[in-house]
Amino acid sequence: MANTGWDEFEIGAMLRTFDGKIDDIAGTLQEDRAYSPNSSFVASVADWRIEKPIFAKDFCIDCQFCWIYCPDMSIIARDKKMIGIDMDHCKGCGICVEVCPTNPKSLLMFDEHSDEETELAQWPAKEEKK
Amino acid sequence: MLEIRWHSRAGQGAVTGAKGLADVISTTGKHVQAFAFYGSAKRGAAMTAYNRVDDKTIMNHEKYMEPDFVFVIDPALVYTTDVTINAKENTKYIITTHLTKEELVESQPKLEGKEIYTVDCIKIAQETIGRPIPNTPMLGAFMKISGMYDIEFFKDSMVRILDKLPQKIIDANMIAIQRAYDEVK
Amino acid sequence: MAFDKMELKDIEVWDGNFAAAQALRQCQIDVVAAYPITPSTPIVEGYSKFLADGYVEGEFVMVESEHAAMSGCIGASAAGGRVATATSSQGFALMVETLYQASGMRLPIILNVVNRALAAPLNVNGDHSDMYLGRDSGWIQFDAYCPQDAYDLNFIAFKVAEDHDVRLPAMIHQDGFMTSHTAQGVHTLTDDQGYGFIGDFKPMNDMLDFEHPVTHGVQTEEDWHFEHKARQHNDLMTKVFPKIQAAFDDFEKLSGRKYNLVESYDMDDADVCVVCLGTSVETAREVATEMREKGIKAGVVGIRVIRPFPFMEIAEALKGVKAIAALDRSSPNGAPGMLFNELAGALYNTADRAMLSGYVYGLGGRDLTKKHLVDLYTELQANVDAGKVTTQLQQFIGVRGPKLSFL
Repeated sequence: MANTGWDEFEIGAMLRTFDGKIDDIAGTLQEDRAYSPNSSFVASVADWRIEKPIFAKDFCIDCQFCWIYCPDMSIIARDKKMIGIDMDHCKGCGICVEVCPTNPKSLLMFDEHSDEETELAQWPAKEEKK
Repeated sequence: MLEIRWHSRAGQGAVTGAKGLADVISTTGKHVQAFAFYGSAKRGAAMTAYNRVDDKTIMNHEKYMEPDFVFVIDPALVYTTDVTINAKENTKYIITTHLTKEELVESQPKLEGKEIYTVDCIKIAQETIGRPIPNTPMLGAFMKISGMYDIEFFKDSMVRILDKLPQKIIDANMIAIQRAYDEVK
Repeated sequence: MAFDKMELKDIEVWDGNFAAAQALRQCQIDVVAAYPITPSTPIVEGYSKFLADGYVEGEFVMVESEHAAMSGCIGASAAGGRVATATSSQGFALMVETLYQASGMRLPIILNVVNRALAAPLNVNGDHSDMYLGRDSGWIQFDAYCPQDAYDLNFIAFKVAEDHDVRLPAMIHQDGFMTSHTAQGVHTLTDDQGYGFIGDFKPMNDMLDFEHPVTHGVQTEEDWHFEHKARQHNDLMTKVFPKIQAAFDDFEKLSGRKYNLVESYDMDDADVCVVCLGTSVETAREVATEMREKGIKAGVVGIRVIRPFPFMEIAEALKGVKAIAALDRSSPNGAPGMLFNELAGALYNTADRAMLSGYVYGLGGRDLTKKHLVDLYTELQANVDAGKVTTQLQQFIGVRGPKLSFL
């Protein structure tokens, strides 16, 4: 929020998600919505990460566990298919990796500076049941 | 200022009676007040209700009262409570009892020398309304003793106040009011 | 309006509770969330009956506590409805946490508080302990002295609270039993007059406006909290009184009944006066008139709006008075008393700082008799004659046992 004085903001303990009128919010994708500066959507927490998740699409079964469990709504899904991670709002907690049920996992945590293509190329193999 | 104290049991209708009386008087342009002492009283407990009537707006909200009239609508309260408390020299008492005035004073010597009128509101209510609700008959007796209003005007007013009740009950109340008016002595 | 109207007589004999319930009907409250408690029960009971009988279009929400009742009111108000409820005493105490939410969120909820003592010991009768408990909660507080006031002030409260420059919740206080259960003549407004006075509810930042989504009840820490509280205090200090005065003026035009922030009675040339709240104001007026017949120039100042406190207006009303008694109907529990403190603050910087003494009275519904007030005025006159306060500064009226006084 801008550094305004006590007499400049709207009264009530309230914030607007959008400046002005909006239509068809349900039919508009998040990235296409004109969020106001007061919406947490415009604030990035990318720099909080020490580790980042990488998504290996080939192993994903679209169970949506990661989408449900992500505390920051940073799993991007379209038509109930997992398509990637919102790296502006992911703070690297690793919960998505914990809940991923595939073998091998479709999401794994890596150092923030690691290279996605390199890691995908050496993705772990399926673990045999003992 | 005319002040009235009701002695009643919770559930006998003293509050309703006091409010009904206030309502009738209010329609004649006078100012009224009707209230009661409440506590955690259950039905049957002794309680008091009050009326104030004046030609000007009533500002006094004290609960203390030196009444002009005392209404006792349950016969036992003459013995178990002090119905003469805070009374004035000329306070008038209208007391529900099956006794004669002489028998009543003999049984409760505190009433000696007071201006007393008796009427059996309980019996009248039972015989007319079918329940021992002695509030409306007491008002009939009060109309007679005070001469406040013509009894027909008073009954017409009470019909309006009781209009939520079934017609049969309203009719019975009118008979009860008239009987108490005729029988009080 | 899609509801049935009710024909009222010009003067109805109503107690304070029923008068408030009738006002809520005429104001067409959208939502009442309530958890009934003596002596305020008949207010919400009355509203629910009017609702069931088709006289109101709205919702009655039954909840599991007073905390939930006010929470429900907050939700309904934030959603964009006209909202009211009623409570007393322990219920009010349980509501306190949510009172601050309602005012901080700037929601124009109307709360009828039928004043009652706070336990222990348990007591259902009227004193001002609950009213005093709410005085820093950021609400506007109106005080009724009789059933007529309880009726009228509901309309005035809605008009002020819902004004977009104000947007603060308001309480209407009436004395438990002494007003709430005392039937007196009440001059009525017609349904059209009553509703017309407050008009249709004008929502502001309502959650049901889907084209302008808002988040209500946000969190701020040391970064913004102070600014929000400063804004609220500023609006209470600067915006509320002009709006209340305007509402009083409009109401007088409509009804002929005049209300003032501070209700002065016989104060023009008064030497001695009592300052008090609730039904005591009216009883004191009657006694003041009688004292004048005895040659004591007595007056009464009643406070109509307790919050915001009419600091300047009260100092003005008390100008020229020589001895003042502040009557507090709540145990200060280790302090001089709310009214004593507020009056001391208002008078301290004035030129003719009058003698001020405090009295604690009427706790748990203990009767304040005319005789008490006669003695009180006589004592104040003795102070005037002696040129100093002849008693201790804090005294108790009407309590058993040896005389109790402090300071």
